[in-house]
Amino acid sequence: MEAISHVVAAGLTGDEQKKANAAIGAGFAYGIAAIGPGIGIGYIVGKSVEAMARQPEAAGMVRTTMFLGIAFTEALALIGFVVFILIGL
Amino acid sequence: MLTAVVTQSGSAFTVHLVATVPPNSTAEQTTSSEPMLLAANEVASVTATAEETIKPGPSPIAPELKEVAWGGGSFVVFAVLMRFVLFPRLKKGMDARYAGIRADHEGADATRAEAKAEVAGYEAQLAGVKAEAAAHIDAARQTLEAERAARLEVVGAEIAQHRAAATAENDAARAAVQSQIESAVADVSGRAIELAVGKRPDATVVARVVADVMGAGVSR
Amino acid sequence: MLGLEFPPINEILRWQDVFSSFNKIALIAVAAAVLGTVVFLLAGSKDATVAPKGIRNLAETSVEFIEDSVIMQTMGKEGLGWTPFLLSLFVFIFLCNMTGIIPILQMPATARIAIPLFLSLLVWIVFIGTGLKHQKARYFTNLLWPPGVPAALKPLVGLIEFFSTIIVRPLSLTVRLFANMLAGHILLVTFALLSEAMFQAKTHVPLLNIGGVLPFFMLVFLTAFEVLVVFLQAYIFTILTAVYIGSSTHAEH
Repeated sequence: MEAISHVVAAGLTGDEQKKANAAIGAGFAYGIAAIGPGIGIGYIVGKSVEAMARQPEAAGMVRTTMFLGIAFTEALALIGFVVFILIGL
Repeated sequence: MLTAVVTQSGSAFTVHLVATVPPNSTAEQTTSSEPMLLAANEVASVTATAEETIKPGPSPIAPELKEVAWGGGSFVVFAVLMRFVLFPRLKKGMDARYAGIRADHEGADATRAEAKAEVAGYEAQLAGVKAEAAAHIDAARQTLEAERAARLEVVGAEIAQHRAAATAENDAARAAVQSQIESAVADVSGRAIELAVGKRPDATVVARVVADVMGAGVSR
Repeated sequence: MLGLEFPPINEILRWQDVFSSFNKIALIAVAAAVLGTVVFLLAGSKDATVAPKGIRNLAETSVEFIEDSVIMQTMGKEGLGWTPFLLSLFVFIFLCNMTGIIPILQMPATARIAIPLFLSLLVWIVFIGTGLKHQKARYFTNLLWPPGVPAALKPLVGLIEFFSTIIVRPLSLTVRLFANMLAGHILLVTFALLSEAMFQAKTHVPLLNIGGVLPFFMLVFLTAFEVLVVFLQAYIFTILTAVYIGSSTHAEH
């Protein structure tokens, strides 16, 4: 990350250098924060579809629980997004 | 420190000078006297008015008091209205309608049960009638059978009587014919013996012998 | 050269104040409350005895949606008394979100943190109040130490439960709604600006200008996607509120 910022920020003054670093860091913050929840949501939805296919009569309950699980998992990615806003923009 | 933000829209360039350090001094200045703007001035007209100023504003994460107040206030008013006015009115109508629908359903169920009971009664009646008809038919058949048997008996008796009479007549005729033949044969044989011997044999002996011979002939 | 200058975040999120203490967000919030009130008022004044249609159908569908897919799934029959609160929460958030995809307004009121924060704190107060009402002072001990925790683990479990219930719950409610709507709004802004810049770019070959339809199609698609997000976020906020309230009416077991 630092190497990139060196290349990007060649010939920038100290303040601008800091801003450039922040922008790069923000990009990485959100990108990395999105990996885990991405896997998690995929897993939740996949398992829910499996459960619904196995027991279609329980589909309503499974769907509600699935949304709850997605909401909890997604919160992690969103915290990354907030960090991105805080330091990047 | 002043930061210049140059935005291009079409052929016009908009230049904003934003002061970032002292918040209580004039937040920004629009000027064309700065040397860095002269380049932009050469290309296009500078349109920079007080309206298009960008206030630095608070961080997007920090809530603004007026938004909290207005948003929260309107939500609380809405929720209270919903709790005490809007929802009860709506729910009352819904409940009334659902109760009506349920009553209708129950009425329909009752009607259906009634109809079923009626059908069952009708079927029972039908079965009774059928049984009665079967009984009538049986009785008629039995009467018919009895009549037929009686008639057959009468006819059979009549036939037997006729047969007996005919048999008796027949027997009588045969006996008569036989005795005639016997007497004729005895007469003939007596005469033949008289001619041969010259003396008339006892008629009774001849008759018995003839009867014996004829009986043997018949039996053979 | 394509000079796409992305505006600073405050420019895409703020509108000119109508007057110094009333801005676009406040306007949208008031309009959402008024619209919700008007819809339910009109629905309530329609004939209730015949099959519902039009505005009454809409209102009754939302009521049944809250009752069937939110309350019955999380709190069961005894939670039906919460219908007005959850219904107003759902309707208000939905309408505030919806302004993000309505032309001219084009700004979800919930993409600013104020309204989500207020609603989350309200929910926080409501579920703690419900817990105190139903379980009295034992609510806090039940909250910190669910029954059956060994004594040795109590400090650790208590700390975790305190953080997850008292701090993380309102925070995650706020951030979930706010960040989802903000992310959607930034996406829409990005593609709108990109297609505008491509349409207006000064080039010798008009290929770039024609190519501007591509981000425009993406914009249309994302707007359709936002409809889903708008509904889903209102639904998730409401159902999580129901779960939290439901969890404070009974001690965990």
